[in-house]
Amino acid sequence: MEQVVANGLYLGAQYALIALGLTLIFALMNVLNFAHGQMYVLGGFVTYEIYGQLRWPFVVALFASAITLAVLGGLIERLLFRTVIRRSVREESTMLLAAGIAYFLDAVILLLFGEKQRGVPKIVPGVLRAGDIIMPYDRIVVGGLAVLFIVGFILMMQYTRPGRAMRALAQDRIAAQLMGVPVEFYSLLGFALGAMLAGLVGGLLVTITGVNSGIGGPISLKAFLMVMIGGAGVVGGAIAGGFILGMLESVGLTVLHAYGDITYLVIFAALLIFLAIRPNGLMGKPWG
Amino acid sequence: MRALLSLSDVELYYDHVYALKGVSVEVQEGETVALIGANGAGKSSILRAITGLRRIKKGKIEFEGRRIDGLGPEAVVKLGIAMVPEGRRVFPLMSVRDNLMMGAFSRSDRAEVRSSLESALERFPRLKERLSQPAGTMSGGEQQMLVIARALMARPKLLLLDEPSLGVAPKIVQDIARSIVAINRHEKVSVLLVEQNSRMALRISNRAYALTTGTVALSGASADLVADERIKHLYLGGDL
Repeated sequence: MEQVVANGLYLGAQYALIALGLTLIFALMNVLNFAHGQMYVLGGFVTYEIYGQLRWPFVVALFASAITLAVLGGLIERLLFRTVIRRSVREESTMLLAAGIAYFLDAVILLLFGEKQRGVPKIVPGVLRAGDIIMPYDRIVVGGLAVLFIVGFILMMQYTRPGRAMRALAQDRIAAQLMGVPVEFYSLLGFALGAMLAGLVGGLLVTITGVNSGIGGPISLKAFLMVMIGGAGVVGGAIAGGFILGMLESVGLTVLHAYGDITYLVIFAALLIFLAIRPNGLMGKPWG
Repeated sequence: MRALLSLSDVELYYDHVYALKGVSVEVQEGETVALIGANGAGKSSILRAITGLRRIKKGKIEFEGRRIDGLGPEAVVKLGIAMVPEGRRVFPLMSVRDNLMMGAFSRSDRAEVRSSLESALERFPRLKERLSQPAGTMSGGEQQMLVIARALMARPKLLLLDEPSLGVAPKIVQDIARSIVAINRHEKVSVLLVEQNSRMALRISNRAYALTTGTVALSGASADLVADERIKHLYLGGDL
C-alpha cells in the first residue's frame, strides 16, 4: 500500500508540473495547447542528446531542455498565436492552430530523433528500501526536483510582480490592461513559461521512463485529463489534478493488474461520470 | 487656460456602427465633469477612447497638451489617467491587498507605493479589515470601493469613473458619491464621471455633458442643467 502511495506521489508531482504549464497558457490566453505533449517530448530529447549522448552533466541538460522549450514557446506565441488571435474572432482558430503545431512538432521530432525508444543512464544509482517501500534513488531525486519546481512556480505566481501581473491578466484581461499591464509581453512570457514547464518534465522523466517520438499525443491527453479533473485555468486545480491522476494510475496499475491493461479505461469512465456531476472540475469556475 | 483633458471632434466606430460622432469634451484641472445620458448614448465609449481600449477614427484627444489618441492603455495609465471600469472588474481570486497593488503596477517608486496604500486604506477603512480576503467574495458596494481605491493607487491626475453606482445599494451610492467628492477636493484629482444616475452625477459635478446617440446634446454647469427642463424631462424622470 505504502508503495502504491509513494509511486502515486512521484508520478503526481511530474503530472502536476505538466498540468501547470497547460493551465497557465489556457488561463492567460484562452488557448488550449494541444502541442503540450510534443513540447514534453522535445524536452526529453534535448536531455537525451546532451546528457545521454554528449554525457554532459544532467543539470546542464535539464537546463537546456527548459531554455529550448521556453524559446520555442515564445516564438510560437509571437509568430503564430499572436497573429491568429489578432486576426480571428473565433476561438476555434487557436485550437486548430494548436493542433496543427502538435502534428508539425510530431513530424519534426520524428525526423530529428527517429522512432526508437531512447533512454539515458541513471542519474543516481541505487535503491532506497525503507520498510515495505522500494524506491530507486533516481525517482526520489526526480520527484523532489518536480516538487521544488512546483513550489518555485507557486511562489513566483504569488509574490513576484510578473506573477501578480499574470494572475491579474488571467482573471480580468481588460482590468489588467487598465492597470498598465502590457498584455502582449505577458502573453509571450506566459506561453514561454508554460512550454518551459513541459520541457522540464520531459527532461526529468527521460531519466526514468525514456522517451520516444510517439508519446506526445498521449501526454497531451493526460494533461487535459488533469486539467479537467482540477478545473481549467486554476493553479490549485492543476496541481490537484496532477496528483489525483498520478495516484489513480498508481492504484489502478496495482489493483486492476489482474484484469489486464484497463487502468485508463476505468479512469476515463470515472472521469465521464465526474464531469457529468462537476463540469468545471474540482476548483474550476465557469470561465467566460 | 489649457484644459487637462480635451477631446475634439472625436469619432469612434464599433465595426461599422458609429458610437461617437463628433464629440468634444473638456476637463479642466481640479474639475469634476459628468457625462450623462441613456444607455448606448456613447458615454462609456468616450472613456474607452481616452484609455486607449478603443481606437478613434477621427478627431484628437489631448492630455496636458499632448496627443494621447493612438496610445495603448498601458501608456495612458502611465501618463496619469486611471480608470474605474464599468461592472467593477475586481480581480476576483486575488486578495484585496494584491488588487490594490495591481493598481500601482504602472509605478516604479516602491517606497511611495506603500504610503499610497496607507492613504487608500485610510479613505476606505472597510478595505483594511479585508486585506487578505479574495476580492470576489466581497459585496458589490465593497468591490466598488476597492476598484476606486485601486485606481487611486496609480496616483492619477485624472480619474475616470464608469457607472460607479450601477448595481450598488442606494445607501452605498451616497457613500460612493461622498468619496468621489472627497477625492476630488482633498487629493487634487480631476474627475470625469459617467453615470446613468444623472441626479447623483449632477449633484457632485461642476459641469456636465448630456449625450444622445453619440453626440453632445447639451452641456453646461451642473447646477444649471439640474434646473433645465429638457434635462429634467430626459434624464431626471419620475423613476429616479
